[in-house]
Amino acid sequence: MFERIPFSSFGEFLNMGGYAFNVWTVYLLFVIFLLVNLLGPRRRRKQLMKELERRAVLAERQQPDSSD
Amino acid sequence: MWQWFHRWGSPKWFYDLSGRWLPWLTGALILFLVVGVVWALLFVPQDYQQSYTTRILVVHVAVASTSLAFFPIMAVAGTITLVWKMKMADMVAKTVAPLGAWFSALTLASGSIWGSVMWGTWWEWSDSRLTSMLFQFFLLISVISLRSALNDSETAAKACAVLSIVGCVNVVIIKYSVEWWNTLHQPASALSMNSGSANGPAFWVPTLVMVIAMYLLMAVHVMMATRNEILRRESRSQWVQDLVLAAK
Repeated sequence: MFERIPFSSFGEFLNMGGYAFNVWTVYLLFVIFLLVNLLGPRRRRKQLMKELERRAVLAERQQPDSSD
Repeated sequence: MWQWFHRWGSPKWFYDLSGRWLPWLTGALILFLVVGVVWALLFVPQDYQQSYTTRILVVHVAVASTSLAFFPIMAVAGTITLVWKMKMADMVAKTVAPLGAWFSALTLASGSIWGSVMWGTWWEWSDSRLTSMLFQFFLLISVISLRSALNDSETAAKACAVLSIVGCVNVVIIKYSVEWWNTLHQPASALSMNSGSANGPAFWVPTLVMVIAMYLLMAVHVMMATRNEILRRESRSQWVQDLVLAAK
């Protein structure tokens, strides 16, 4: 199960036995897929919190006596 | 049991609980991803026929097998929405669908890139596995557009629930397509414990690590997106307003 690294040089690793384009394209797509689906909801949350804060400030201004 | 069920139905309870779970799940996700990717790229041995393209399959198999979980999850959530009208279930169903579309798209793309060198073709319309997976992608796009097309959120929830339950039929077709019709896509490999075998643990252990990473990714994404949906839908409730003021 724990095999030795089958490459003898870094160039060989990049070359992937001649399938460099296919292997690295898939891993690039995989990284894009991870970034979009992990950072997307985080960014959306920040936008949402800003929007809700803005609304809370507006509501406070409209009813100053009910703010506490 | 009922108390447990009711608690899960409370958006605030879900929000608090997921807030406590997210750091742990994210940590586990990063751990499994790093181990999975490093193992796949560096240590998976060269196959005598496929050379190093087996590195593509570690990602492809993990993403593809996880993609089959989306319709069953949406169907369970949809059934809960239809029977008990639980708001939380519909929020989860809504956030799961776009992620499922991403999983299906990556399955198709990675499979195609692998097939282009190993099968000599990017796409084969007569192959049942390929076409049924493409159909799943289109079904998920339909669920997403159905929700955005219907203005009334209750009608949209019901319509999406029905479509999700019907969509499960396709999951069964995808799963057994390679056994029912024998065209291009190979059936699942029989796992072998023998490390000398072409299907040995050197291939399937890193794949299993990646499958776990993909389910963790699903959990983390769905929790984050559902929390956003809770904030949006419950923005008028007191606890959300308190939360916003506390964060300011």
